[in-house]
Amino acid sequence: MKLLALVSLFAAVYSPVAALWPQPRTINTGNNTLRLAPNFQIIVSGHGVPSDVQAAVGRTQSYLAKDKLARLVVGRGASDAKSFAQAKTLSKLTVSLEKGAAWKPITSEAQKAPADRDEAYHLTVPADGSAATLTANSTLGLLRGLTTFGQLWYAYDGTTYAIETPVTIEDSPAYPYRGFMLDTARNFFPVADIKRTLDAMSWVKLNQFHWHVVDSQSFPLEIPGFTDLAAKGAYSSSQVYSPSDVQDIVAYAGARGIDVMVEIDTPGHTAIIAEAHPDFVACPGATPWGTYANEPPAGQLRLANSTVTNYIADLFTAASELFPSTLFSTGGDELNTACYDIDEPTQAALNATGSTLEQALDQFTQVTHKALEVKGKTPAVWEEMVLVHNVTISKESPVLVWISSENVKAVAEKGFKIIHAASDYFYLDCGHGAWVGDFPTGNSWCDPFKSWQLSYSFNPTANLTTDEAALILGGQHLLWAEQSGPENLDDTIWPRAASSAELFWTGPGGNISTALPRLHDVSYRFRTRGVKTISLQPEWCALRPGACDLTA
Amino acid sequence: MILRNWLAMVLLLSPAPRYTTALWPIPSSLSRGATAVKLSSVFDIHIDISSPPADLVAAVSRTRSRITTDRFQRLVIGRSTTDISSISSARTLTSLSLALHPGSLVRSIADETNQPITSRSEVYSLAITGDRPSAILIANSTLGLFRGLATFEQLWYDLNGTKYLLDGGIDIVDQPAFPYRGFSFDTSRNFYPVADILRTIDAMSWVKLSILYWHVIDSQSFPLHVEAYPELAEKGAYSAEEIYSQNDIRTIVQYANERGVDVVMELDSPGHTTAIGAAHPELIACAAKSPWASYASEPPAGQLRIASPATVEFAKTLFDSVASVLPSKMMSSGGDEVNLPCWEEDEETETDLAERNITIADALNDFVQAVQGVITSHGKTPFIKSDMVLTHNVPVVNDTVVVVWQTSEDAVSVAERNLRFIHQPSNYFYLDCGAGEWLGNDVLGNSWCDPFKTWQRAYSFDPLANLTEDQHHLVLGGQMPIWSEQSSPENLDPIIWPRLAVAAEVFWTGATLPDGSPRLGPNATSGRNALARLNELRYRLVDRGVSAIALQPKWCVLRPGECDLDS
Repeated sequence: MKLLALVSLFAAVYSPVAALWPQPRTINTGNNTLRLAPNFQIIVSGHGVPSDVQAAVGRTQSYLAKDKLARLVVGRGASDAKSFAQAKTLSKLTVSLEKGAAWKPITSEAQKAPADRDEAYHLTVPADGSAATLTANSTLGLLRGLTTFGQLWYAYDGTTYAIETPVTIEDSPAYPYRGFMLDTARNFFPVADIKRTLDAMSWVKLNQFHWHVVDSQSFPLEIPGFTDLAAKGAYSSSQVYSPSDVQDIVAYAGARGIDVMVEIDTPGHTAIIAEAHPDFVACPGATPWGTYANEPPAGQLRLANSTVTNYIADLFTAASELFPSTLFSTGGDELNTACYDIDEPTQAALNATGSTLEQALDQFTQVTHKALEVKGKTPAVWEEMVLVHNVTISKESPVLVWISSENVKAVAEKGFKIIHAASDYFYLDCGHGAWVGDFPTGNSWCDPFKSWQLSYSFNPTANLTTDEAALILGGQHLLWAEQSGPENLDDTIWPRAASSAELFWTGPGGNISTALPRLHDVSYRFRTRGVKTISLQPEWCALRPGACDLTA
Repeated sequence: MILRNWLAMVLLLSPAPRYTTALWPIPSSLSRGATAVKLSSVFDIHIDISSPPADLVAAVSRTRSRITTDRFQRLVIGRSTTDISSISSARTLTSLSLALHPGSLVRSIADETNQPITSRSEVYSLAITGDRPSAILIANSTLGLFRGLATFEQLWYDLNGTKYLLDGGIDIVDQPAFPYRGFSFDTSRNFYPVADILRTIDAMSWVKLSILYWHVIDSQSFPLHVEAYPELAEKGAYSAEEIYSQNDIRTIVQYANERGVDVVMELDSPGHTTAIGAAHPELIACAAKSPWASYASEPPAGQLRIASPATVEFAKTLFDSVASVLPSKMMSSGGDEVNLPCWEEDEETETDLAERNITIADALNDFVQAVQGVITSHGKTPFIKSDMVLTHNVPVVNDTVVVVWQTSEDAVSVAERNLRFIHQPSNYFYLDCGAGEWLGNDVLGNSWCDPFKTWQRAYSFDPLANLTEDQHHLVLGGQMPIWSEQSSPENLDPIIWPRLAVAAEVFWTGATLPDGSPRLGPNATSGRNALARLNELRYRLVDRGVSAIALQPKWCVLRPGECDLDS
């Protein structure tokens, strides 16, 4: 109900400011140009301002000084020179919390459960040169406001200026979970690539890094007490995330308003565990792999074996201590029953207890989820765990719907919270041909390529009742890394993942024609900050909004 | 347990089809032994040529340096550490000697690269016997030696600074099936700095590509400084920083030529020329006319007023000015996608046609004849796009090379006209396809040449398909293009590599692999083999700073064949 009201409010005041992505939910703008004073300062007023807030202010100051983004118009801002010559000068932005709110680190605000995150902020930039003000109820809201403020500015000939002032923004996200998922197991990504991605995520107010850290192909996560998994299962000793790497990544993310939900996918997608514990894995390397797994190599946990179950519960307990998030994904996708059918130890274990595979899976899930719940974590699962399998899953658990957006309704009908991750809208890896060998005519399984336009057009509440719509936590783009590595990370993600950032911040129904110039803008700004976004159009088109529309 | 043993048995019993050293493109004749060979710590490359050309000396120096700095380890489980015992007992190679066959002319690589396309000699032979401390590389030309150096560089693996190979007793006699092995590069839709072009040229030379076909200008921007008309770039480039100066062009051409890459420039005309209108609006019909789709294949509309004698004179001077600074014996006037309604609705054009009492077809013929005349007057072979010949039936100079682009099926039609051609079919080779619509306000639109052209698709291309034997001589080779509507420096490497290497092998080896087997096909072991070799090339490219995409998870790369569809 609240959501609907906000969406319609948004529609009523819809007047996109060229620069902003995601578009604020309510914004009023004028027609004046405003210059940024050379001695411009951001003043944080309050006592006990946390260091990550100070750091965010410092980054904002640095972007203001270094972005040097020329406006995307013919002449790149030359035509603005006349207006900013007479413009007033802004010398101060004051940042403060609303009365009664307490200064807490951005990190701790970001790491709250999605429903408890407060990202709302209020930003006013007068055109008369008087101080701009940013207020919020939380430091996380302040961070979002600083991000917006940083996007307002262009540079031309040494002058930094904003157009369309005065600006008044009242903003908060439509959905509390706005994520991006990265698979670091099919191919490895160094810490620096992940940090750069976290920076970019924060620039479009994404707040959740879903880290699919391990899979059947490699186990790059070093978990205290379980170090043999990475020692034997990583691609190499230099392709491992140590506990200090994880701490570094989690802290870097937190300071940027991003929570890290790790995923240790089980009981499928675990063949690599056999490198350290061959007895724990059913059908390791079984061929033809196509019969026993969705991709090579085959192999999944012997879930009917209580030793394995307890091992995974302990593994989750240990891993959960590396990640302060309230969320922890236990995966659960693509379980292959044929693998268990041919696995003698699994069959023997099932016979001994008189259980079915489904009952064993339920037992495995309950024990491993319990281990997380004891640590205060909410397990998240892929959709099969509630749609395909007969497993007890807490209604608190978010369910990631990935196979098809059409499955959202079924999950909602069962009353589970939902994270949109549909392959038919949000998979960044689709459309680049087959990666399996000896398959010359093959295409990617999720063909075609998912364009930014397609994901932008997604309706998060399609076919849902009002009650069901309330179950939607948000959504995310995802990058599975079979055909990706550090070499093409930026250009595969960006700016496409920004389209879901706006979708889940501003809400659905955005106009694709007015979105394009803003997406160009944020994409060019990303480049000035060192993120290699792909071109959406020839620059000729980027400088002439609408001129390259299909029917222009 | 049982399964595992069974799997091990299969692996033991199956023949070992894999090459330990993975050359790309695969040489036309290759035999190899089983002797481990390592490079001596004082390994050196000697040039047994009196007064060797400077660019050969520089090429040798680059090879020596790359062999030292490459840290590429063999792609097997355990990487190069697997080979420790082989390395410890390896024979030592102390030198590589370069020589020309007696009687060969000694010319620079650049000079050889600028010879007419059909008279270049790229053949070389390379022998690493395994029992002699010196390897020998012999060719008929410095260009052949350069190709041999590219092969030599690909032979070595690294373990902690030791460079080694496992299949010593290598004997290679190698030459390309086709002399034209190119990459077409659009620098107009979005701009690329010189450094990106140079890096691309380096990578091209590593896989023996021979042509940079430079689609330098188009309707969106004019980044080329032209001595006769500096205003074209001044007003038509995206910005003053996004212009290729005379100096830049010299740098690029020289850099390419010294690396065995000939630079064939395309000044696409009379279509794809709207950007000329920024400086010379009087030359352009239907400039930015709307709806653009009625007047052009993409926005903005606009093409040269070919019926105007002044425009033809302008074009002649333009081609003359550009041709005179380029050493290549080839130059292209493009000619794709001209739009008739643009001219039909252009008053000036209609007036010109009426005054001269000619049709637009006559004007088009005259225009092409005029620019081809300028190109040939510079001793260059003119290139033209296939639709000029097949759709507009424009008469062209006899030795014209046609760029077949719309579909691979057009090759036969061009051959039937007895014209030489290169393959650039959009249904096999376009690197830009499959990334969605770039036009605005088209939510569910796809790229016009969907789907994405996979490396496998490109690799399956047969350059001689449907041609009679007496038409084979008309095929000069082919090229992959990147059209840059959705590309720019940010994704240049990933969008072209390693797919571009596929064209390099297709046109180096010809219609089949050297042993006559199909490059790809149902149940062809060659396909698996190609993937393993291409994976290796990709890792070598990354090692050398070219951001080539991953073709597979590394797990698969380290286990050739285990991620095949049916394995």
